[in-house]
Amino acid sequence: MSKISTGHFSIEDLENVQITIGKIVGAIEEKVAEESDMGPTAKPSVSALRDWDHQLLTRYQPVYTPQCDQCCYCTFGKCDLGGNKEGACGINLAAHQSREFLLRVITGAAAHSGHGRHLLHYLIERHGRDHPLDVGPSNLLAPNVQMVTGIKPKTLGDLEAAIEYVEEQLTQLLATIHMGQEGAAIDFESKAMHGGMLDHVGMEISDLAQISCLGMPKSDPEAPLAEIGMGCIDATKPMLLAIGHNVAGVANMIDYMHENNLSDKIELGGLCCTAIDMTRYQMDKGGTPHAKVVGTLAKELKMIRSGIPDVIVVDEQCVRADVLNEAKRLSIPVITTNEKIMYGLRNRSKDKADDIIEDLASGKEAGALILDLDLLGEVAPRLVMKVAPLRKEKGVKALPTDEELGTLAAKCVYCGACEMVCPNNLEIMDAMKACVEGDLTKFEILHDHCVACGRCDQDCPKGIPVLDVIEKASQKVISQEKGMMRAGRGQISDPEIRQEGVNLVMGTTPGIIALVGCSNYPEGTKDLYKLAEEMLKRNYIMVTSGCSAMDLGMYKDEDGKTLYERYPAKFLGGNLINVGSCVSNSHITGTAIKVAAIFAQRNITGNYEEIADYIMNRIGAVGVAWGAYSQKAASIATGCNRMGIPVVVGPHGSKYRRALIGKPYEEEHWKLYDARNGEDLPIPASPEFLLTTVESVEELMPILAKNCIRPSDNNMGRMIKLTHYIELSQKYLGQMPEDWHRFVRTETDLPLAKREELLKMLEKDHGWEIDWKKKKIMSGPRMKSDVSAQPTNLKRLCKGEC
Amino acid sequence: MSQPSLQTSRDYARESAEMVDTTKNTLIYTTWGRKTAKPVNPNVAAKLVSKAKRPLLIVGSEIVGNEQLTEKAIGIGIKGVPIAATGHSITAFNGKAVNAKYINVHALAHYLGDENWKGLDGKGSYDMIVFLGHKKYYLDQVLSGFKNFTDLKTIAIERHFMQNATLSFGNLRPEVHVEALDEFIENL
Repeated sequence: MSKISTGHFSIEDLENVQITIGKIVGAIEEKVAEESDMGPTAKPSVSALRDWDHQLLTRYQPVYTPQCDQCCYCTFGKCDLGGNKEGACGINLAAHQSREFLLRVITGAAAHSGHGRHLLHYLIERHGRDHPLDVGPSNLLAPNVQMVTGIKPKTLGDLEAAIEYVEEQLTQLLATIHMGQEGAAIDFESKAMHGGMLDHVGMEISDLAQISCLGMPKSDPEAPLAEIGMGCIDATKPMLLAIGHNVAGVANMIDYMHENNLSDKIELGGLCCTAIDMTRYQMDKGGTPHAKVVGTLAKELKMIRSGIPDVIVVDEQCVRADVLNEAKRLSIPVITTNEKIMYGLRNRSKDKADDIIEDLASGKEAGALILDLDLLGEVAPRLVMKVAPLRKEKGVKALPTDEELGTLAAKCVYCGACEMVCPNNLEIMDAMKACVEGDLTKFEILHDHCVACGRCDQDCPKGIPVLDVIEKASQKVISQEKGMMRAGRGQISDPEIRQEGVNLVMGTTPGIIALVGCSNYPEGTKDLYKLAEEMLKRNYIMVTSGCSAMDLGMYKDEDGKTLYERYPAKFLGGNLINVGSCVSNSHITGTAIKVAAIFAQRNITGNYEEIADYIMNRIGAVGVAWGAYSQKAASIATGCNRMGIPVVVGPHGSKYRRALIGKPYEEEHWKLYDARNGEDLPIPASPEFLLTTVESVEELMPILAKNCIRPSDNNMGRMIKLTHYIELSQKYLGQMPEDWHRFVRTETDLPLAKREELLKMLEKDHGWEIDWKKKKIMSGPRMKSDVSAQPTNLKRLCKGEC
Repeated sequence: MSQPSLQTSRDYARESAEMVDTTKNTLIYTTWGRKTAKPVNPNVAAKLVSKAKRPLLIVGSEIVGNEQLTEKAIGIGIKGVPIAATGHSITAFNGKAVNAKYINVHALAHYLGDENWKGLDGKGSYDMIVFLGHKKYYLDQVLSGFKNFTDLKTIAIERHFMQNATLSFGNLRPEVHVEALDEFIENL
């Protein structure tokens, strides 16, 4: 058999010959291997980056906060591991907690990668393996894929080898969860890092595929604005509600509606990341998004219980498990479209559209499983047109009436059961009391703090549907929930990196704050707005995605403008960039990789460790998942962590069971090598952590400013960062930060306006020697200021080591 | 299933004319494991804190905007217990005659488990940790870390029963909680 390489070839004089090419095994790998820039760790195995992980974990030590002191993995148990005891298999609580954390990470990574595999498979079927990747004006198309696997994908087909690698590694990681085996917490932690890294590859594959095939904005700072909020839904029209994270099926619904002049007749709304991706669909040439965004997971149950949706279509991931039961009570048919969620429904994928519509509209069946997405495209819009008038005619009653509201509130005996089971321990009893007296304001405030989980309903001994009461009492504020969100723009382009990279590395743009993740906030949605507005005014680059991107659009200033309308979306300081849905988070890490590749001309191909080392020591970026709740948020954060990017989660994030926190008082951990000569290079304790929780948004802001400080900052950059750290501490904590002096290398690092005052403090409070004639620091700093220094964690990168 | 109601001030008044009983309602929503906090009364908790060599009060952001809780936290500080002010609770202590320092609670929990940590004042670590003004779910996690990985004694004087502490008040109504804190301070 002759070997055929990739590329174009012609076969002359052949007729009636059929050539079937299933897969060109190994061709991509061969091609890559031929290229000279392959780094040392292409497609790393579970242990290939272990030394790097252990280095990180020595400085940032795991801090375990178990959710459960027991292990019930096998039939030896359950075992009580309380007090860090060993169970029957020999595992102790620390190792078990790290195993639990690993399980969360690989669950999240599998959710994204499973999504990626599904999309890729589906889009290859429709567009072919040779369909080019087209994500905007960039040569570096897939920074995560290239850095991790060494593959430089150009087509959809090229992504297959990358997703196969992810799947194989996830299987290896899952195998380590099995009882016994690994006994060292630190190695479970390293495996978790590996899972997080894989997650960013899987996410990138998902988004590159959909951007390239579904006409989504391609690195477009002018991506259109989409309406967002429960209040923007026009309940007079038949309403089709899509929930989940996979836009493939919804895209077909949009196409069908367009082709059949139904777009103006049907109100199409979405919840969670499907909603974001619906607003990106076919927006690469501008226009008005084809759908409205209802909101995040926290709005799922409220939207269903409002009774407004006439048909619900779910796909995968952040979808409540009780959608079918909740919808059934309100005669809302549910269509499941993905093998991950089938709700026990009959598979109608091969049935005729007319039959399915008849069965669902008549109520004969509560829902249907439709895995044929073309069939779904036709059924869902037609069904909603048929069901809406029937539901109206039937007079489906959803929320309580005004009279019923008072009666329900009066049934409350103030036992406190609802408050105890509420994830936020909201003060529901007080609101009930006020409601009885006709004051709904307490419920209106609770509405924004309520994550709509429904646990209160189940525990009320009087059978009060507490969530319905909260929603009914808050109708006025719900009707005003109307905002704007910029549709996800996708990657940061190569030219943008060229323009801004130097400012990031020198610190003159004070940092990137990535506001990502879910909606399990400690104090409602407005904290996000407060945070973003403060940091945007201070010229940080705000990047956002997923649920955070949605909730940011919910608030307006006194001129009625949202942050998306007030701040541009270029990759520059003081800009607000929505990269897109959950899987678009890969573009945030991708941006950091691109800075290393484009600005610093580092070879990224199969070269994870060196690039992570570069990012960690030079790019002042901090991730914030303020409402993190899902396993996916854990995997996204851990992928950032392996790259040296710190992540803060809100207080609920303590339930992930472990943080990675450094000890600034242990000086031996805060030094690097200077790659110019291999000598020790003391560094500031920043980032202080790789993953930690923060209690309030007021505490968060100075923490963000501090943790954007990097060893590579030049004097101007350090001065800017220190200024923000000091000012934010004074503004939100009412005092100078105690450790500000630790970041000072020379007098030119000091904020200009306060230089003399700070020099006095350094002399008086910290014993530093100051030459007052020259206003110069003579002794005191632990670090020198040297812009030529080449900070690295890796001895092998130092001169003379190779 | 019937739920035990939270005790009211009137109930307590009926049971005892002098002391607040904070040990009655220890209802929990979910379990962490076998080891659960012992309910404690304010006077006993205060005596244990008074006897400790190096006690530390960790105060969370929930006191901000709550005048009564702020007053009680300051009251404990005035009695000489050093305060670790987590979140943005330091804003309630600025300018007050207490020894309070800001620190992130997760980082603090990490340092407290380290024998080599010199403490907030450089004088060494602590042996008795008292908690006030925290979100219940957050403190549950922090205490879970202490319970399983350190020998530190922890006392929660919150209005919710904190099952992962060594000792904890039970579930209390806000007004009873304030009474209990008064009694705690009196006995310091």
